[in-house]
Amino acid sequence: MNPWATVALVAVRDFRERVASRAFQLSTGLTVLLVAGFILVPTFIDTDGTTNWLIGVVGESPPTLAEAVAAGAGDDTTAATTSFDTRAEAEASLEVGDVDIVVDTTGVIVTRDASNSQLTTLVATVMASLAIAEQAEELGIDASQLTDLFVAGPRVESLSATSEGNESDRAFAFFATIILFMSIITYGSWILIGVIEEKTNRVVEVVLGTVRPHQLLAGKVLGIGVLGVAQVVLIGIVAVTVMTIQDAFEIPDAAGTVLAWAFIWYVLGFSFYAVAYAAAGSLVSRQEEAQNAAFPLTMMLMAAYFIASFSITGENPVLRISSLLPMFAPMTMPIRIAGGDAQTWEIALSLSLMMAATYGLIRFAGRVYAGGLLQSGSRVKWREAWSASE
Amino acid sequence: MLEIDNLHKNYGDVVALDGCSFSVQRGQLLGFLGPNGSGKTTTMRSVFSLLKPDAGEVRWDGRVIEPDARLRFGYMPEQRGLYPRMRVASQLTYFGRLHGMEKRAATAATVTWLDRLGLSDRADSRLEELSHGNQQRIQLAAALVHDPELLILDEPFSGLDPLGVQAMIEILIDRAAAGAAVVFSSHQLDLVEDLCEDVVIIAEGKVVLSGPVRELRSRSSHRYLDLEVAAGASRNLADAFNGFEVVDVEPGRIRLRVGNGTDLEPFVQKAKTLGAVRQFSYSPPNLSEVFREVVEQ
Repeated sequence: MNPWATVALVAVRDFRERVASRAFQLSTGLTVLLVAGFILVPTFIDTDGTTNWLIGVVGESPPTLAEAVAAGAGDDTTAATTSFDTRAEAEASLEVGDVDIVVDTTGVIVTRDASNSQLTTLVATVMASLAIAEQAEELGIDASQLTDLFVAGPRVESLSATSEGNESDRAFAFFATIILFMSIITYGSWILIGVIEEKTNRVVEVVLGTVRPHQLLAGKVLGIGVLGVAQVVLIGIVAVTVMTIQDAFEIPDAAGTVLAWAFIWYVLGFSFYAVAYAAAGSLVSRQEEAQNAAFPLTMMLMAAYFIASFSITGENPVLRISSLLPMFAPMTMPIRIAGGDAQTWEIALSLSLMMAATYGLIRFAGRVYAGGLLQSGSRVKWREAWSASE
Repeated sequence: MLEIDNLHKNYGDVVALDGCSFSVQRGQLLGFLGPNGSGKTTTMRSVFSLLKPDAGEVRWDGRVIEPDARLRFGYMPEQRGLYPRMRVASQLTYFGRLHGMEKRAATAATVTWLDRLGLSDRADSRLEELSHGNQQRIQLAAALVHDPELLILDEPFSGLDPLGVQAMIEILIDRAAAGAAVVFSSHQLDLVEDLCEDVVIIAEGKVVLSGPVRELRSRSSHRYLDLEVAAGASRNLADAFNGFEVVDVEPGRIRLRVGNGTDLEPFVQKAKTLGAVRQFSYSPPNLSEVFREVVEQ
């Protein structure tokens, strides 16, 4: 029998049984709802997402005041004015919150408290420039001459032309790292539990009568891995769809290359850790021991994550070294690639080491798996499991 | 033919197998006997490469067993286990397919076996919803669904009720008659004696006795003498046969172990003095006694 056909059978069984399980359906549905909810809820609270300012004016309002304030505040903000006859009336209105700020055209701005400093600054600036324009006109300077007076200062240039792009690429790569981290934690523990379940149910002896240990291992990792990726993609699609409907999402400039690298490292990193989790699972017999067995892996994973999160601002020696080591590379190398810091030879070396290590780990894990699976009772040591099988 | 050839296996200082050898022909139903810890399960696991012997080899049809050959084997381990939450029919189909069956053939075989075991109506139940006895039946079906050429069952009768035992017996006989080599281990020796023509007895990792049951019994250096006298006889039979090896005694009845070829005349004479003789028989040991003789040596 074609060995891949066996792997596929195992993978399909693991995939199907989980998809059919009530627990999986519930958790997926719940996660999707939660993600959609987190994106939607803020807009329910602030229905149209805009701010409306009302400026109380004592005396005759300058005609362009409202327009200039709104323009200065940017998108999603409108401003209007309302006139009062006396300052006392205007202040009373400000006190109860009917207007947000009061402008006395004699040259005073009254605020309720210091909270809305953006509005205060804007109104002060606008009033000042209106006064300048008025005085300039009295002095006989026309609008275009006035503009020349306010020519901008020196232009700022950077030696690294795409610096800003690199920052956003790096942020995107770090986002991919977070997803990889979460996936490994979640689906790694599914694999761990799945392996221990087969030992606890003792079905493993029947299965290993025909299936070779590394095939069972590969099938399990593949079945649960594909399911995990499918779940991540589903959640991603829901999130992007909801955000697109709301106009709250812009595809990062990074997309193309960074996305491709993120995907490659995701697959490599996930495979590496998934195989390691399966091997760890084969060493214990009870669910209670699962976390103990996985502890070294979880520590490694946390270390990789922290190196990545401390390095989001830029290159450092720890990041550089760790990006070459297989247990850290999937989380650290994408950030260096996105930042434009990784040399081609470093990427090539890291990729080669990663693939070699994954292959070695599959061989190692297959043997540990075979040795560990049939020993029940106490926790099996790596070395015992290794020597117990062929 | 399955050949177990001089298997050795040590676990640290513990010797599990110490030169175990025997063979099973197609169509043969072989009882594989031995006390607990004698190496039966270790031997069976070696056939499926679940462990690697330190020395010796296992051959099928004269060749060392390759993974593809194992696809035509069926195995029911002592520690039963299937996927508890998986549905019965898809579970059996899955095991059929793991043994290389096409999907359609595996599905058809599943239907046949469920029907034969009287569990057709449970096809869509989860395994864990079945009674213990029915789960055992499914376990057997999982070993049989691909119609194996070699069937190895570790303690197939343990945990079965009398009806289950009878059904299991019928299936084992049927498989052997269909041409499969069938090996099973059991501690229920009376049952094995009725069921098998041939047995292998293993102790401390090596075969101590093997051959047709009838031959093993008659080859024994002992015989058993059963005597029954009329109830009125008041004398204690054990006292009367003081000096002989008494296997079993109860009022009016005694069983003695004597050497093969013992002159029976003195026993007949003695019996007559005890009262009216109801029964006097001289027979070879049964399988249990043969087993004890060789294992306790």
